[in-house]
Amino acid sequence: MNAIIVSAVFGVLMMFASFLVNNKNVYRYLAIIGLSVLLLANILETYAIWSIKFDSFLQLSFERFGLFFNSIAIAATLFYVLLSGKDIVRVGNYSAEYFVLIFFILCGVSLITSYNSLLMLFLGIEIISIPLYILTGSDKKNLKSNEAALKYFLMGAFSTGLMLMGIALSYGAVGNFGLEGRGVVAFGGSMRVSFLEVAGLLLLFISMSFKASAAPFHFWTPDVYEGAPSVFTSFMATIVKATVFIGMIKLLEARTGIFGPTWQIILPLMIVLTLAIGNITAVFQQSVKRMLAYSSIAQAGFMLFALWSANDMGREGILLYSVAYTLATVGIFAVLVKMKDYTFDGFNGLAAKQPLVAASVAVFVLSLAGIPLTAGFFAKYFMLASAIKSGAGVWLLVVAVVFAAVSVYYYFRLIQAMYFKEGEAEMFEQPTNSFKGMLAIFAVLLIVLGIAPSLLFNYLYF
Amino acid sequence: MLWTNFLMNVSTASNTAVDYFPIGIQLIFAVGFVATMIGVSALIGPKRQTSDKLQSFESGIESVGNARQPMAIKYFLVAILFVLFDVEVIFFYPYAINFRDLGWNGFFAVLMFVSLFLAGFIYIIKKGALKWED
Amino acid sequence: MIPVLLITLPIFSGLMAFFMKGQSVKSWALLSSFAVLGISIWSLFSDANLLSYSQAWLPSLGSRFDLTMQDGLSKLMCLLTALSFPLVLISTQQNSSNQSPHFFALMLLTQAGLMGVFLAADALLFYFFWELALIPVYFLCSIWGGEKRIAVTFKFFIYTFVGSILMLVGILSLYYMQDTPSFAWSSLTANASKGIYPNWAFWLFFLAFAIKMPIFPLHTWQPDAYEQSPTPVTMILSGVMVKMGLFAAIRWLLPLFPKATEQFAWVIVCCSVIGMIYASLLAIRQDDIKRLIAYSSIAHIGLMSAVIFSGNASGMGGVMIQMFHHGVNVIGLWIVANAIEQKLGTRSLSEMGGLAQKAPTLSILLVVMSLANVALPLTNAFVGEFLMFNSLFKYNVWLTAVAGISIILAAVYTLNMVQKVIYGEVNSLTEKATDTPFNVNFSLVLIAILIVVMGVYPQPLLDLTKDAVTQLFAQQ
Repeated sequence: MNAIIVSAVFGVLMMFASFLVNNKNVYRYLAIIGLSVLLLANILETYAIWSIKFDSFLQLSFERFGLFFNSIAIAATLFYVLLSGKDIVRVGNYSAEYFVLIFFILCGVSLITSYNSLLMLFLGIEIISIPLYILTGSDKKNLKSNEAALKYFLMGAFSTGLMLMGIALSYGAVGNFGLEGRGVVAFGGSMRVSFLEVAGLLLLFISMSFKASAAPFHFWTPDVYEGAPSVFTSFMATIVKATVFIGMIKLLEARTGIFGPTWQIILPLMIVLTLAIGNITAVFQQSVKRMLAYSSIAQAGFMLFALWSANDMGREGILLYSVAYTLATVGIFAVLVKMKDYTFDGFNGLAAKQPLVAASVAVFVLSLAGIPLTAGFFAKYFMLASAIKSGAGVWLLVVAVVFAAVSVYYYFRLIQAMYFKEGEAEMFEQPTNSFKGMLAIFAVLLIVLGIAPSLLFNYLYF
Repeated sequence: MLWTNFLMNVSTASNTAVDYFPIGIQLIFAVGFVATMIGVSALIGPKRQTSDKLQSFESGIESVGNARQPMAIKYFLVAILFVLFDVEVIFFYPYAINFRDLGWNGFFAVLMFVSLFLAGFIYIIKKGALKWED
Repeated sequence: MIPVLLITLPIFSGLMAFFMKGQSVKSWALLSSFAVLGISIWSLFSDANLLSYSQAWLPSLGSRFDLTMQDGLSKLMCLLTALSFPLVLISTQQNSSNQSPHFFALMLLTQAGLMGVFLAADALLFYFFWELALIPVYFLCSIWGGEKRIAVTFKFFIYTFVGSILMLVGILSLYYMQDTPSFAWSSLTANASKGIYPNWAFWLFFLAFAIKMPIFPLHTWQPDAYEQSPTPVTMILSGVMVKMGLFAAIRWLLPLFPKATEQFAWVIVCCSVIGMIYASLLAIRQDDIKRLIAYSSIAHIGLMSAVIFSGNASGMGGVMIQMFHHGVNVIGLWIVANAIEQKLGTRSLSEMGGLAQKAPTLSILLVVMSLANVALPLTNAFVGEFLMFNSLFKYNVWLTAVAGISIILAAVYTLNMVQKVIYGEVNSLTEKATDTPFNVNFSLVLIAILIVVMGVYPQPLLDLTKDAVTQLFAQQ
């Protein structure tokens, strides 16, 4: 409960800071301090040293897995603010409020990782979504940002409606909002899962796929990711997306087998569709930002494997995937924000001008493509291995890896532009040494996790 | 094949679905009736279009100007804030009824709720959301 | 101990080279490659307990950092890798690519990756190194390659990446088919004898190896890549890297899928033989000297792959020593080609002529290399080729007859090349040509000595690979 309360309190504190303090840099430092405290509080709870306890009437339950993901999400946000804090402040006039919203999103994140009732899931999803709508439209003078925010809001509201409908149907079948609840009905002497519950969960699943931008519910993603200010795109494409997957895993694990054999068709179909749409469309993009938007759909396709396998390896894998994907994407976006030209050609010759930045971006790209020696490889590896452990058909894996090979095509265009092409990669400002240092730390982290991924899991079990 | 199984599960596996059968029938009839009547009247009814008929109806008075006039955005802000605090007040009714039963625990919960709202209230005042003139 | 040294030494020196400046990096890289060569020669005579190293790596995944020189084949391939790098580095001192510290750093990293492939005794580790050998090569070719380098290297990369990632799926599926899942080579092969591995897994592995070799019809990346890569990298690509595919087929594919190998051998052998003839015919029509050598390389590899999948014990021994000899010979050819290109500034055969008068030493060495390429008796390639044809003959007479045509074709295109390059009239282009500098001659003479010595007395290599052959056929 530490994460939920502390993040909410810091959100309110930042709100007050917005009119008490006038220095924009102070906001950034406050946010960094707040995130550090939040991380510390969450770690204290993870190791059962100190925690605020409320009777949540079984609405929330705190487990090692969820708390550990909290730590990942908070640490990733901390890194994100350290790396792009200056760009967050610069988006618009309401610098402090952006951090407020990020804190509130983290509150929603910690709700989703610990919900024990569908009501809390709904609250968590909404607490995440509404600040995101605002952040998407935070570049008020930019028409694209406005368009993206409106689109996101309308589509998101619709999917929220679906989610409520699903929760209502599930409630109708089970009689409570409990996560575990299984509504059964007598049928010809045997007990069957109630149709209402299946329909309800399907709706829930659809609306969460929407939030996770899994095909065929991905249509909002490219426009919103492109329209939103780049700093916030990187936040919502990584931390938020991973959180939704954690929520989905919790839900589907609690009600394993509820979809019956149909699940063996629906989910593989979704995986293939997501991978195909994300990867193939990304190939044709000229803008790096839009490419990253589609690639985030493609990466979601891989994350869906964790839902399919529903075993320990899948759970470990999704954690590793979140870390690998988040670090790499946040890193690339941090560089992208500083570029004058968002197209691939805008990166031409970056290696000659900024060797360290280019090298870091190269590591990020290699990780996203899943090349060995980077965390991205083991992230994909865990997904594939967990799926095959659960008895997935090899055809599914073959399709997945072929699309992984397709992804190499567009990821490597970035490397080609930076290293092999001549050009003047122009930046708005020269990256500072601390920025370069942070990028290098990101890259080193990815490589360390790529050699010894077990470093991450050691903390999961102890 | 599995997909059809799923569909069959719907109709056979759960008698809840069977319970809804009459409602479904009624739904079909209701929609069908309305659709038929509108369709038939549109098909066989007499049609005579004049410019008067196509004008928007304003109690017999000639229509003037455009209905979509720009309004100050502040109206919306105030309206939304009003809704927020209105909802806050609504929560006091059930609390007032259960005031004694909920005891100190309930009191602290409500106190927290109100203080959060208070924080928000201070925030909007300080931010000048309620200031009418710039 | 030795395997770890063979890998960590180039990694370490490679990473160091990134931060070096100026000319010192040349000597550094040379020093490192000679040290590796020394260690590799040491491995031929050292105790067995020094030849393997095992360390927990990913306990939760059941994978170990397991490096073993388990038989003569590993030793031979490591020796080839260790030998080729000094040769390449010495003979290409004057190339424009060999001026940047990054070039040497990436070259040394490539060496580490190659060593890892030849030493890994754990399937996941093997996959790791298989990919790692590719990444530095990708950068090497894309930065210092020819005009069309970016597109061509990318094609090469995607090709091999698709193959290797399919292999990963294969490895994973095999892993979970065992009763007690393990990636260890010993465990995987032990389970293979129970016949629990399905045939489609064979193809997943085979694709990765076939692309690397390359076998017709998966060879299309190869001539382009060889032509566009900087020549030092081409030497490594054709001398050592294609051996990765052959080596992997012998080390992993055959022991893992004895049944499937038997069942599908005819497909692969037919493809290989078609590839031999096809590549030889194309080689005859080539005007670019680099492309000519590239196609001739495909033809030679085709024979080896045909014998791997069809052969008997003596044929397998022939393949193993031929892997070494082809590596040495083709590097020799590339060195000559590189020297010619450096001298004349062109690779087009039709523009050359009369080099024998202007550069006699180079011409003599070119003839030696070419004769070895045709597998003339008394050259090293003859022994292996003889053993291989002998083995193929026992498998199928008709296929052998068809494959035999490629020997004639090899003579045609190789001698045609020799004739066009060194004989004929001296033209305006070759007029200014002089003999090659000492470093080129040195490495070429070294190779020539190897060619002749191994051609006359091939027994040491056959002895070295004997245990690998016996082990392979004992399992089946």
